[in-house]
Amino acid sequence: MASRFTFTKGTPQYRNYRIGVWALIIAIFLLIGFAFVDVGSISIGSNKYNLSLIRLNKAIAYGVAILGLQVVIGYTGQIALGQSFFFGMGAYISAWLVADHSWPFLLTLLIVVPSCFLVGMLCGLPALRIKGLYLALLTFGLAALFPTLIKLDSLYDYTGGANGKLTGYKFKAPSWLPLDEIAQGLQTIPLLGSFFGDGPLSSREESRLWKYILFAIVAGICFWLISNLIKSRPGRAMRAIRDNETSAAVSGINLAATKTISFGIASALGGIGGTIYVAEVGIASPDDFSSLVAIYLIVGLVVGGVGTLEGAVIGGLVYALIPDWASSTQSIAFVPERWLQGPTGSLILGILLIVLTLFMPGGIATAINKAKGRFVSIKAANSDKNSESVAQNS
Amino acid sequence: MTDVLLKAENLTASYGQIEVLHGISFEVYDNEIAVILGANGAGKTTTIRALSGMVETTGTITFKKEDISEFESDAIVRKGVAHVPQGRGTFPELTVEDNLRVGAFIRSDNDVQNDIQNCYDTYPVLFERRTQTAGSLSGGEQQMLAVSRALMSRPELLLLDEPSLGLAPQIVEALFERFLIMNKDHGTTMLIVEQNAQLALGMADRGYVLEAGEIVIEGAAESLINDEAIIRAYLGG
Amino acid sequence: MDLFLQRLFDGLTNGSAYALIAVALVLIFKATTLVNFAQGEQAMLGAFIVLQLWNWGLPMWVAVIVGMLISGIIAAGLERTFIRRFDPADHLPLVIITLGLFLVLNAVAAIVWRYDPLAFPQLFPHGSAITIGNARLSWYSIFAFGSCILVLLLLHVLLNRTKIGLSFRAVSSNLESSRLCGIKVGPTLQFGWALAAAAGTFGASIYAANPVLQIEPSIMLRALIFSITAAALGGLDSLWGALLGGLTIGFIQSVLVQYIPFIPNEMTLTATVVVLLIVLTLRPSGFLGTKTVERV
Ligand SMILES: Nc1ncnc2c1ncn2[C@@H]1O[C@H](COP(=O)(O)OP(=O)(O)OP(=O)(O)O)[C@@H](O)[C@H]1O
Ligand SMILES: [Mg+2]
Repeated sequence: MASRFTFTKGTPQYRNYRIGVWALIIAIFLLIGFAFVDVGSISIGSNKYNLSLIRLNKAIAYGVAILGLQVVIGYTGQIALGQSFFFGMGAYISAWLVADHSWPFLLTLLIVVPSCFLVGMLCGLPALRIKGLYLALLTFGLAALFPTLIKLDSLYDYTGGANGKLTGYKFKAPSWLPLDEIAQGLQTIPLLGSFFGDGPLSSREESRLWKYILFAIVAGICFWLISNLIKSRPGRAMRAIRDNETSAAVSGINLAATKTISFGIASALGGIGGTIYVAEVGIASPDDFSSLVAIYLIVGLVVGGVGTLEGAVIGGLVYALIPDWASSTQSIAFVPERWLQGPTGSLILGILLIVLTLFMPGGIATAINKAKGRFVSIKAANSDKNSESVAQNS
Repeated sequence: MTDVLLKAENLTASYGQIEVLHGISFEVYDNEIAVILGANGAGKTTTIRALSGMVETTGTITFKKEDISEFESDAIVRKGVAHVPQGRGTFPELTVEDNLRVGAFIRSDNDVQNDIQNCYDTYPVLFERRTQTAGSLSGGEQQMLAVSRALMSRPELLLLDEPSLGLAPQIVEALFERFLIMNKDHGTTMLIVEQNAQLALGMADRGYVLEAGEIVIEGAAESLINDEAIIRAYLGG
Repeated sequence: MDLFLQRLFDGLTNGSAYALIAVALVLIFKATTLVNFAQGEQAMLGAFIVLQLWNWGLPMWVAVIVGMLISGIIAAGLERTFIRRFDPADHLPLVIITLGLFLVLNAVAAIVWRYDPLAFPQLFPHGSAITIGNARLSWYSIFAFGSCILVLLLLHVLLNRTKIGLSFRAVSSNLESSRLCGIKVGPTLQFGWALAAAAGTFGASIYAANPVLQIEPSIMLRALIFSITAAALGGLDSLWGALLGGLTIGFIQSVLVQYIPFIPNEMTLTATVVVLLIVLTLRPSGFLGTKTVERV
């Protein structure tokens, strides 16, 4: 397939292209932040859809948790369904440290990451002996267990039981960051200015925007680390296990170590996602981490695209936005209102999960990459022949 | 020689991207025993799996003058082809008797119980073990069961994939004697895949030698068996 | 002692329901080594169909049987549409499909019948049948357990004495050889799905017929974990193992809840998952399963 633009790796043009793309992504990201920091909602017909940054911040949290699933399912091929367990674990550890021990939020990651990593590795140990569906069963059991565990009376002092655990933490943007000035500057742009609200940011908006940026930085670091991981030796080992366990073992890959580490990393990412989540919503409540959440995260994984990093981003957005919009939709022509009051979000996610598995197993990310391939193709450095076939395949 | 029972023309077979058979043609006549010989990996198993509709193929396969190339495995069995796969392919969790019943699955006549009794008469050991699971039988017993099971469908053509594999010489001899009897008394046509060339050619009417997915030699069994050069070159013995 | 006996009796009823869902899971696992995560929701939907038929005026037992038939037909359709096209050896897409069905079926039931608990037909007579000291064994418990055994016996006969049962067992044992014996594998597995759904529907029906329970769309969410554990305890591929597993879980549950007072209510699920973990890790073949389970 002939692409409109072709870049060869290692050349200055390619570097400029990369820098350009990333600058564009960051600019769009920031503009979205400023544009939606104050907008309450938009209305279509008689339906009101919330668009505030809260959804996007949740999307970042889910995205990181789904990134974990990419590592264990997408790259290592182990069917682990219990990500809500670690999502919840991260959330509760952070909430507990922040509320009861006055830790700053981000510092709690120092505890969350190693503890989720360790617990994940421990859960990965039985997976060395059992595989395939036994693992799926076990992890599904863990996911079902989590809310119950949190509600145990003996943990009440740490978890707050069924009422949940308030963090009581306020994110405050550092004073050197000119968020307010930028917002007002954007408002003066002719025509488009009105998209950015009017007047200075309230302290609440400022805090929300700051969280948005902060979470994105944390998530960005996670994605960067994982993208390096999968290109490295351990990453190749993971993919070898996914593709064919027996031949991976024969070629000298340490199955046990690779699998447990992969579980550990996935769980740590789940924990980080949980920390971000509770930082956004301000309370950890047991039913936010039910086995349904575990399934929704799988939906995000599949709809975004199994085995792609972009898929985790898309999956996070899908999970954060679709159920929310679905429940905001209270009237559609010809559809009884009574139906729309039911769990339409869950229905849509379920349908998406099935339809994509049947007809688009690569998920949205693969489809986007295919479309992108028509416009831009990247050639590997020095060997032309190979790269062309690579570009065609991708 | 009489009519052609089975005919393969320009048959190719592939596993995914890899083509294993490169357009072979052969036929099996009514009431004969034909053998396919060849070294490990030559494509013998693939050939008879292709006949049973279990791998991707191109080319045509005709059975009793009917094109069965596009048929599903179960439809081919219903046409009268039985297949004893390499490694026996019994149902390990089922009892010996149930294995035989599954073999008669496509039949709806009332003779099934009779035929089961016939199997027991031929192999009394199966009768002794009729309530045991097939998985608990010895290798030789399993092979007897596999052959008996295939015969339960009253096939016109029996495909046998390395029936001698892993069996003691006396058992192999008995088994092949049994094939001869079935062929002579019941007129069951057979296509046998074997590595043991001497043994197979000894009882066969005609033979094919397969090498790397191509038929390199074909001919009457007597002429093949006496051709020292062929045996040494392709069959290593 | 009375209290213990009472709990044992209580465990019998829940255990029977878990056992039936577990049997459904086992039927599908036996045939395809797939765990159908949507099994609980299929059963829940089946019970709602029973309820609907009963509301429309069918006698309750007729409603149960017709409901079992309808959910069997639905399951056959699901198998044909969503399951058969996948390679049974590739677990991931199949697990994902059953999770998708889980979400869809649950949502559909909630959209159609809402979350308000509804009264389910009382399939069994009220009152207690036997009183030992202060422990009462209700008619409900006796009939729930009895009908569970009856269904299992019927299944047993169906699988061991009929031709379709034979083909189902053959397919479970060796897929390729089944084809070579002329068995149509697809329809046979479809039959397994239908059978499983019917058994599950029966299980959910007797579960919902508990005088102290009403039916609502999330009724099977927790029961699914209990049933999965029951099936795993039984070895995942044994029908009678599933019964044993179901009863064990039922007893663990009811005895733990009240007989040991310091263990809070939430402990039952925790204990169940711990049992699941121990069984899967240490003894994947459970009580009665075949030893050839998947190991690395
Ligand atoms: N399922 C499969 N996928 C990929 N390649 C296969 C598969 N089965 C067989 N092959 C390849 O096809 C070729 C022919 O295999 P086949 O089993 O037909 O050989 P054979 O002649 O029966 O050998 P043997 O005497 O060892 O049984 C071999 O190179 C083998 O590696
Ligand atoms: Mg072979």
